Formats: sequence, C-alpha cells, structure tokens
Amino acid sequence: MRRIYLHPLPVRIWHWINATGFVLLVLTGIQIRYVGLVDFVPFRTAVVLHAWVGFVIIANFFIWLVFYMFTDKARLYHPELNPVELFRGCLRQTVYYAYGMFKGLPNPFHLSRFRKFNPLQSLTYQIVMLFLVPLQCVTGILLWDITRFSKVVDFLGGVRVVDTVHVLIFIIIVFYIPFHAYLATLGRTPLEHYKAMFTGYEEVDDEEGEEAG
Amino acid sequence: MAGIFLAAVLLIAAAAGWSARADALPEGDAHCLSCHQMAGLQMGLANGETLSLHISGDTFAKSVHSPFGCTGCHSDIEPDKHPGDVSVIAGRRTFSIERAKVCAGCHTDQAAQWNHGVHAALVRAGNPVAPLCTSCHSPHAVMKGAAEAMDTVPCKACHGAIFTAYAASVHGVLRSSGVAQAPLCFGCHGAHDVKVPTAGAGMKDVCFGCHVDALAKHQQWLPNAQLHFTVVSCPACHAPKAHRKVDLVLFNSTTRQNAARPVGVPEFQGPPGSTGAGQTGLDPATLFNLLRTLNRPGAANKTSIKGRLDVRTGEEAHELTPASEAISDCNTCHKAGADAFQSVTISVAGPGGIPLHYGVSKEVLNSAFSINSIGGFYAIGGTRITFLDVLLILALLGGFGLPALHLTAKWLSRRSASHTHRNERKG
Repeated sequence: MRRIYLHPLPVRIWHWINATGFVLLVLTGIQIRYVGLVDFVPFRTAVVLHAWVGFVIIANFFIWLVFYMFTDKARLYHPELNPVELFRGCLRQTVYYAYGMFKGLPNPFHLSRFRKFNPLQSLTYQIVMLFLVPLQCVTGILLWDITRFSKVVDFLGGVRVVDTVHVLIFIIIVFYIPFHAYLATLGRTPLEHYKAMFTGYEEVDDEEGEEAG
Repeated sequence: MAGIFLAAVLLIAAAAGWSARADALPEGDAHCLSCHQMAGLQMGLANGETLSLHISGDTFAKSVHSPFGCTGCHSDIEPDKHPGDVSVIAGRRTFSIERAKVCAGCHTDQAAQWNHGVHAALVRAGNPVAPLCTSCHSPHAVMKGAAEAMDTVPCKACHGAIFTAYAASVHGVLRSSGVAQAPLCFGCHGAHDVKVPTAGAGMKDVCFGCHVDALAKHQQWLPNAQLHFTVVSCPACHAPKAHRKVDLVLFNSTTRQNAARPVGVPEFQGPPGSTGAGQTGLDPATLFNLLRTLNRPGAANKTSIKGRLDVRTGEEAHELTPASEAISDCNTCHKAGADAFQSVTISVAGPGGIPLHYGVSKEVLNSAFSINSIGGFYAIGGTRITFLDVLLILALLGGFGLPALHLTAKWLSRRSASHTHRNERKG
C-alpha cells in the first residue's frame, strides 16, 4: 500500500463548500417549496438564506472552474469520446457495483494521479459540473430577481418554465446527494474516501501506485 | 376659452353674493320656472318612457349653473313657440346623450377627459346604463364641491356597495374625519377620465401616486418586492379580510397590451362569468390548446398569459386597512392550498380596458400543461406542479432507498465476498 496525493487543497475546500452549500440549498429549497408542510425556518429566512448560499455556490463553481482550467488536473474531466469505450467502462463499473462487489471481486477501476474517477463517476461529474450546476446557477440567478431579468425570463418562456427547470435539477440533486454520500463509503473501509477528502491522500495498492507513478 | 368665461362668471357671481332663492332669479328664468316648478310636470317620450320636466327653483337658484340662466343650456328652446313646438324625444337615454353635447360646449376639458375614460368606452359599446354627464351631475342642482364630499359624491349612486366598503376602509374613515389628503373616489379613479385601476399595473401606479415610498418600504422586508408589486395587487395584502384569486391575463406580447376577447374561440363567446371557477371552468388541457390555437403558425400576434394575484370583488378591493393590519406572512400565499389559489379567472380586455373575467379550473395552477400555457405566472410553493412533487418523492425514495438496498445486499453477501477474498489471497 502507498499513499498518493490525489485531492489538492483548493479541490478539498471547493468540495466541502459545495457539499455544505448544496445540502443547505436543498433544505432551504424544500422549505421554500413546501412551506406549511415543512417548517424548519420561516419562509422569508429560507428565501434569503437560499439566495445567499446560492451566490456562494456560484462563486465556488468559479473556483473549481479556474482551478481545473489552469492546472493539469483538467485531464480528470476530459470526456471519453469513444462511445463504445465509455459504454464498456460504465457497464464494467455498474456490474461491479451490482454484482461483483457482493461476490468479493476486485474493483475494475484503479486510482492514479490522473485517473481519479471511475467511468461512471467521470460521466456523472461531467454532467453535474458542466451542465447541471451551471444551468442551476443561471436559473437561480434569474429567479433571484425576476424583474431585473424579465426579458431573459420571458424569452425562455416565462417564470414557470425557468422555475420548472430549476426544480427538475433540484430533484436530480436530491437524488444525487445521498447516492454520492453512499458511494463514497464503498472504499476499502467506509471512511477511507471521506478521510481522503480531508487529508488529500488516498491509499492505493502497490501495483496501482506504479500506475500512479 | 369657454372655461375662462365660465370661471369669470362664477367669480362675479360669488362676489355678488348670488341669490339662493328662486324668486330672486332673473325674469326670463322665472318665466320658465312658472311652469317647470310644477310638481309632477313630465312629458311622454317616443319609446313610451316619461321625462320629468320639474325643476326646483330654489335648488336651481343655488346651483352653479343659475348664473347662466335657463337659456344658457336650453338655447334651442324658442320661448315664443314653447311649449307647443317641442321636438319629439326618442327616449331618456337618447336625450341624455344629446344633452351631453351641450355640457361639452362649456366643459370642454372635462368632456375630452370623459371621452378617454372607461365610462365613455362603455357608452360607445352600447352599455345602456353607462354614465353620461347628467347621470352624475344633476344639471339643475350642481353645487360647488358636491362631487368632492363624502355624502354627495355621485359615484355611489351606481357603485353603492363599493362605496360602503370604501367608507369603512382606512381611506374612507380618514376622509370622513376631515383628512383632505385621504382619497375619495376620484382621487384614485379620476373624475372624468375614469380608468380601470385593476387593468395591468394601474392599481399599483394609482397607489404610488400618494404612497411614493411604498416600494422602498417594502424592499426593507419583502424579498423580490418589485416582482410582488407587479404580480400582486395592493388590496390582495392590504385588504386582509378579502378573498383572493388568481387572475390570468391574456396578454398580447406583440402590442404589450392586454389582449381583447379572442374571436372565434368558443370559451370566450359567452358573457363574462359564463364559465365557472373553482373546479369547473377552463381546464388545463383546454387552456393549453387555446394558447396553441392563438399562437398557431402565421398568427399576427403572439399571445401569452400573465398572472396576477387580486381580490375577488370590487367591494373587497376597497376594504383597505391601516398598513399595520396588512398581510405580511409569506405563508398566506406561498403554502399549498392557500385561499388565493382556490379561485382562478382568465381575463381579456373589454371596452375601455375593463377586464372581462372567465372562470378557470384551479387545477391549471398545478398542472404540467401549465408549464407552457401559463409560463408567466408562478407563486413559489402555492402553485407548484403536482407532477414535480411526484418526481421529488421518487428521487428521495431512490436517493436513499437504492443505497439502503445496496447496503443490505452487501451485508447479506458479506460471507460470500470474504470467501472470495480469502481464496484470492490463498491463490
């Protein structure tokens, strides 16, 4: 076993701000949407908090974007352009999670410095970070001040259309967060990946380490 | 010019301490009154109605019109041939419309304003009770300031229920107690160029006429205050006991005006209110198809639907309370099943911009069809789409349930997995 430095400090800061922010956004979002059924905090407080946290997430997104744009870590997000390869990798990983893991078969994916994400993760993160989060930020800004952005809102079909897109992404995020948190426990030990996201270091087998080198 | 002359005559009359008794009227007027003071004097009209010809001399003597004498308005009457040579009058309404032209001869500004108002629009549309000059101003008894006093303001003759609501409101109570700044009817609606304040942003603009700092005050506590001011009418919060409703407005996106009643669309062919509200009325699919029809390829104008939270009746719109009693609890409207979303109408612009309301099923507010058809109206929480709620429940079940299932399967298969591991190590 050896340790490799996989999560640089900016990535860890970004990750935990994002995690906290999205949980707060989901909770305040549920409060806003289901006022009367859910009463954690007053509606107005939830609206104000949702807006502020939203802006933090937007700023945080740019930290992530700038970091990956100006470092060689951008390779982590390079898409697999060969659809056959992409499908094969995803299928292999799915079969592992759905069957191989229960049989004690080895994980088909091996960590390395430039292969941090398995094919399923890679595909998911590309969709989330390059499509869903930006779209959520844009619709969030439009809904934050509909009057100011009324021309854009009208162009897109009206406030209900924009809100529906915002809510649909919110629903996907609601699905994604517990799934993400659970998948992070599927390391050698349940807390291995959690610890790594604080320390920056992941433990890999020696042969994986060679790959990492 | 006529206005200047009128003012001069009135000033002279006031300076001279105008007589307030019929017997002090000039000889010519007294001659007219010798017959027209007779109680019950009337004439039959062509349509079978009767027209009262009785004039109270004392009242006329006190009126602002008395300096001009009878012939000031009735110049068409030739005393030598009267009453024998009286032309046939078709009916009272026709007579009033004709006499309005005489009023306009002196009151040119007011006549021009009236022409741009909703009352004139209703008259032009053939409304048989839309007010003309004489409907509000009894010409032989026009008293200075009568139209501006609580007990004699003419509007209440037709809008009695609304006036009663107004009189009990914060505006009415203040006005009654002598606060001249408190608005009477004309303060918000205009005196002759009467406008429909419920059309578009009219209400907000009328209120802002006096409450100039309203937006700044609301921005101190109300998120998205500007938006609230656009889509929520002031009485919706400031008449807290009123029932609220959603009024969907058919909007011509090309002209940026409220759309007129669509031609050839069956749902709008009946009189306003002919379609029910609540559970009945236009259903989500019909509304969706209506928009598709109006926006069919090649249509001259683009039609959309904007929405507005309002009170249900004109009376309720006048039940305004002091600001301290206004609704400020967001939950009132933002929770599901709120009173405001139990009644839905769709309105088109009638004569003079008067909204004509047709009932709409309240289900349109929560239907997935409405994402497209009423994209212009959405109240967080209160009008959320049911289909998205179902998706959220599925997402929660999937997000927590699938990991739980996986964890369970992992726990159940732990022996098999560790056996494989051991074999691998041995191998």
